[in-house]
Amino acid sequence: MAKSVLVVDDEPNIMLSLEYLMKRAGYEVRLARDGDEALASVMSSPPDLILLDINIPKRNGYEVCQAIRSNPDLKNVRILMVTAKGREVEIEKGLALGADGYATKPFSTKELAERVAKLLNGSEA
Amino acid sequence: MIERLSLRARIFLFFALIAAAVPLFFGLGLWMAAQRIGGDATPHLVLFGGMAGFALIGVILWVWQMFDLNVARPIQSVARDLQTLMHANPQHAPDTKATRYLGLLGPVISEIATTFTDVRADVAKEVDEATRSLKDQRQQLEAILRELNEGVIVCNASHRILLYNRRALQILGVTEEMGLGRPLFSILNQQPFILTLDRLTSRYLEGRYTTHPEYLMTNLVFAKTDGSLILEGRMNLIVDEAEKSITGYVLTFDDVTEELKGLITSDRLMRSTLEELRHPVASLRAAVEMLQEIPDSDAEGRRAFDKVLSEESTKLSNDLDQFGNAYREIVTSQWPMSDVHSGNMLNALTRRYRDDESITCDVTGDPIWVRCDSTTIVALIDHIIRKALVELDCDTFLLQGREGNKRTYIEVTWNGEVASPSMLERWLGEPIERGLGLCGAEILEHHKSEVWCEPAADGMARLRIPLLPPSKAHLVTTSTAPLAIRLEFYDFNLLKPEQLGAIAERKLRDLTYVVFDTETTGLEPSNGDEIIQIAGVRILNGRVLTGEAFDYLVDPGRRVPPLATRITGISQEMVTGKPKIQDVLPRFHDYVGDAVLVAHNAAFDMKFLQLKEDLCKVRFDNPVLDTVLLSAIVHDHTNQHTLDAVAERFSIEIPPETRHTALGDSLATAGVLLKLIDLLEVHDITTLGEAIEASNRIVEIRRKQAKY
Repeated sequence: MAKSVLVVDDEPNIMLSLEYLMKRAGYEVRLARDGDEALASVMSSPPDLILLDINIPKRNGYEVCQAIRSNPDLKNVRILMVTAKGREVEIEKGLALGADGYATKPFSTKELAERVAKLLNGSEA
Repeated sequence: MIERLSLRARIFLFFALIAAAVPLFFGLGLWMAAQRIGGDATPHLVLFGGMAGFALIGVILWVWQMFDLNVARPIQSVARDLQTLMHANPQHAPDTKATRYLGLLGPVISEIATTFTDVRADVAKEVDEATRSLKDQRQQLEAILRELNEGVIVCNASHRILLYNRRALQILGVTEEMGLGRPLFSILNQQPFILTLDRLTSRYLEGRYTTHPEYLMTNLVFAKTDGSLILEGRMNLIVDEAEKSITGYVLTFDDVTEELKGLITSDRLMRSTLEELRHPVASLRAAVEMLQEIPDSDAEGRRAFDKVLSEESTKLSNDLDQFGNAYREIVTSQWPMSDVHSGNMLNALTRRYRDDESITCDVTGDPIWVRCDSTTIVALIDHIIRKALVELDCDTFLLQGREGNKRTYIEVTWNGEVASPSMLERWLGEPIERGLGLCGAEILEHHKSEVWCEPAADGMARLRIPLLPPSKAHLVTTSTAPLAIRLEFYDFNLLKPEQLGAIAERKLRDLTYVVFDTETTGLEPSNGDEIIQIAGVRILNGRVLTGEAFDYLVDPGRRVPPLATRITGISQEMVTGKPKIQDVLPRFHDYVGDAVLVAHNAAFDMKFLQLKEDLCKVRFDNPVLDTVLLSAIVHDHTNQHTLDAVAERFSIEIPPETRHTALGDSLATAGVLLKLIDLLEVHDITTLGEAIEASNRIVEIRRKQAKY
């Protein structure tokens, strides 16, 4: 069965590319435009991985991340934070709140696809 | 002639004159009577005349005695009483009984004496009070200077240091070069000071200061002579209004090296990044616009532009990363920060809750050093604790500093739920009490920081505030240890105008001295003996500045013989690993500056110093005085001029435990020097030139004596 990926971002232009990129890699792709939508989507059917932007409306990425991590049923969900915030202290905060990885915008789509694949195969923790 | 005799003697002479006149005029009168009356009457005349004469002389003697007892003596005693009263004992009461025959003189003198005593007592009381308030003010000034977080240096108009505080030493990172009476420019670059002083001086002399918004003050940026620090400060003139002249200036300053460096770097980064981003963005925009123009059929043309898009977007992306990395390297923000001891900061915070029964707050773990603006960080933690108290219903808080890899952390742990990121965001959006009008998010932004809250053991929650590591390594004791003894940090006597003229003509009293002593492995420097300890104290305006002492053990790079250890108490273990003479002697050279060098048997110590001059790349060409020779000048009756003997002669105590330590002997020698300067004046030796000349004569005499 194909792995599922939830792309959470409020920038339609980057979502277009991410959706295409993930589909081409063979994943089943869902989209969410804000924190509430993202959590609702996760609750209804947990994805295998979330590409999570931090600056999203309603609940920010940190909040979504902590909500998912505080629910033991969702412990298998991988979270890759994707954000324009690139300071080390922000990366540290993201990882402290339970993210599995961190990618700073702008990124190479090729590398991002590789990291998603690694996370889904459990080789990047 | 007669004025020089005492009052009593003069009165006696008067009476003696009268007494002498009695037989003379009686004899003459009777003799003339005998001529008229004839020879028969002579025996009667002699008998009665003689009797009357003796009786008269007797009366004169008696009157003289009465006069002497009741007039002359009392007057003398009154004079003596008044003298005692004036010069020695203000409580002295004049003897009123003696003056009972002198009419009103006695009572009047008693009255004068009483009034005088009262006035004296009043004056003494006033002086006492003034002295006490002066002392209080001095202590307050000292306390203020000590606690001030800015460096303070006060200089006279010729840029010599009159005052400095502990913070100034810390900021400048100097100890040896800083000293009262020393030139400022041995530490700091002189150009900014000369220019700024000129500017302020003309502002003062031309009277423009009265309307100037900064009055007699101005900002200046200056640097250490070695260029290691850039400092920002303010110069404030001290003027003599009566003389219309400049007495000196107060300099307050802070180290802004890092702030300035950060500002300059970020400015440069901003400019270069803007430029560099324009290139790929220009290429991208042009390529996209061209792509829209090119027909689909021209596959080759489109491929060329696709290549441009791909190349330039990669380049743009890389440039951004580089910019981000470089920006991250600029650790300091424009918000002023300093190294803070977490213990001090967090304990200050817990004191706020001491009287609040709803909050239990303690500091735990080992204290660490963090770099932050403690005022706003403390306000932020306080705000978070109070929010958690209300919104998360917890009442016990633990505060802890923790060192991380690249950062330091302040952690707040509480017995309650984790604060969610959105909750924290809301807390941080509120204005903070005592937070300088900032909200939490702004405080964190100034520190380039973020906070988050994560679950901790036993159902507790832990909030972490990452902060910068300290700008330099701190020992826990840094703030107090090296300067623990009370220092003579200032000497306002230096405010007197600088003595001019060649140093030889300067008064011994006015010179600055460094009295020093060395302990060595033996007595023969030319035969491999080395210095193992060197110490010195500075004398300024007749005062030994014990707080500015120089005291170093030196690794001689050779074995310390047992005899040396027995005399000096310095063992091999004590000197192994200590700084070498190459490190210590240049520091001593800095410490000495342009002072006159003094030592007991200076020739010996100077020999050791001079043999090391080439190795240490310093030269000691200061004038030198030897207390052995000076002692020989004033005490030429004896040959005993050892330090012990001379000190004993002057009643200077050398505690046995400090004898034969370099610092102890330096202090004793300094005491000896001060006494010698007093005695040399009696011998009409008052200038340095005269002292050196007299010393040279003693050397010559001794050399001749040695020949026989």
